[in-house]
Amino acid sequence: MAGYGAITMPPADPALSRRAAIVGIGETDYAADYQAERRRPEGWVPPTEESLLTTAFERALADSGLRREDIDGLTTSFTYGGPAPEDVARTLGLKPRFHLSNGNIMAGPLPVACAAIAEGKADTIAMVFAVASRSAGRLFGGMTHSTGGVSDPDGEGGAPASYYYYHPWGWSSQAAHWALIFAHYQWRYGVGEEDLYHVARQVREHAMARPGAIMTKPLGLDDYLASRYIVRPLHLFDICLVNDGAVCLIVRRADMARDLPHVPVDVAGWGWSKVRQDKLHAMVREQLRPQLREASGQALAMAGVGLDEIEHFEGYDAASFHLVNQVEGIGFTEPGTGLAFCRDGQMTVGGRIPTNTSGGNLSQAYMQGWAQVAETVRQLRHEAGTYQVPGISASMTNLAQTDQTHPIVYVRGDR
Amino acid sequence: MAEKRPDRTLGHNHDTFWDWCGKDELRLPRCTACGHLAWPVVRKCESCGGRDFAWERMSGHGKVVSWSTFERDYYGGTMPVPYDTILVELEEGPLFISNPHGFGRRDLAPDMPVRLAFVDAEDSAGAFRLPVFERG
Repeated sequence: MAGYGAITMPPADPALSRRAAIVGIGETDYAADYQAERRRPEGWVPPTEESLLTTAFERALADSGLRREDIDGLTTSFTYGGPAPEDVARTLGLKPRFHLSNGNIMAGPLPVACAAIAEGKADTIAMVFAVASRSAGRLFGGMTHSTGGVSDPDGEGGAPASYYYYHPWGWSSQAAHWALIFAHYQWRYGVGEEDLYHVARQVREHAMARPGAIMTKPLGLDDYLASRYIVRPLHLFDICLVNDGAVCLIVRRADMARDLPHVPVDVAGWGWSKVRQDKLHAMVREQLRPQLREASGQALAMAGVGLDEIEHFEGYDAASFHLVNQVEGIGFTEPGTGLAFCRDGQMTVGGRIPTNTSGGNLSQAYMQGWAQVAETVRQLRHEAGTYQVPGISASMTNLAQTDQTHPIVYVRGDR
Repeated sequence: MAEKRPDRTLGHNHDTFWDWCGKDELRLPRCTACGHLAWPVVRKCESCGGRDFAWERMSGHGKVVSWSTFERDYYGGTMPVPYDTILVELEEGPLFISNPHGFGRRDLAPDMPVRLAFVDAEDSAGAFRLPVFERG
């Protein structure tokens, strides 16, 4: 099993802007696979990273209009381990001159691939991501995150991770991070769970219009409030799905991307910022605002695009409230106004910033930011269906974790 | 009786922290080079990279700035759910995740004053004293 593959973020250098474009996207059948995993009919075989990524790759290749032999680069991204890139190349029948184990969640892999193309390492890279966490029964809290008795597992001497350090008080899990931020926000701005409902509802409405999305039942306020808490004050419907799947993106040198079946989507800018000290303060009191501002500023400057030109946004909705952190922190709306902003329709088509238009991690599929890049490509191709933002030419994705954030800006290739 | 708890992070300066807790004192490391008061415990100052710390005793006074209540059991029954956690801003500045002692979620209010207490606890490494907070 290969490791996670460390990411070194390339600089947010304007010289790297629009040097590569996404020309093909492929995804697995999220809803069908999810339902099969729940029912486990006789003869059901749990998916593997290999089986999932093969499906996604073949679909992306077909979507791109390229031939298999046009693919001369391969990067692999697995959240919980997977085969080595050489093995994946063999599985897919590729002979890449460049291959790389390229991180995991969508926190850096795409800029890394674009920079590799700009450096001439490859002309056309297939980026595959796969996760089989649901079939593996992974638990997203508790002693899943443990140092195994070793202090300072990173060997850097910095702050131990919040995922395990507070175990003696029974505090752990992703969900707890967002719960702590929202509970403070509730007090600070005088809002309640019924206000947060609108985020889960809006994202669900988007999923309902998207074939293949996992959660497609209408989500009423009563259903939401009656659902169990995971970590109070967050309900079940505030927390992202856990499902198995894969996404493949085919990224090609921009000057070779103009004669293909689809309008290419240029990767125009990226940024990165990480909390350096006092993480709980940065999370709870600041909602990562300084980091979100800094990183999105870098990405927009690199792209030469203004925030007011961004017409569609895909934010990392690991939890409903974390989407609000990002919409406020990047500056689509003022701090403290995000819930009213969403309730008033500003996060869907016709509003200021249509957000997570395929249903996000909450309702479409938990592809850890990768499916959201695919949705951005659809939006910029003008093929996003019911929640297509009319005529758009610039979009942003953002993968925000509990202590760092990775925005990317995209523009339509004919812009 | 000691409450069962999930495992502490031990080793290096973490042991020093828990040793002080064993004497019913909450002491956090203050960097002797730049004065940054660290929590969680670090080996290297997050602010300046210094590695020398003075273990400063906290007054034990603070206020509640947030909370979360665990309804899903992440620890295989070690701590019966639901249970409450609070985020306390210590008088000296750091934010400290802990448990309310003698009160619960329904009693919470923004900036509610709290004061330090210690309870007997036990994890796989043995018995220890756990810092918690009572109504102040």
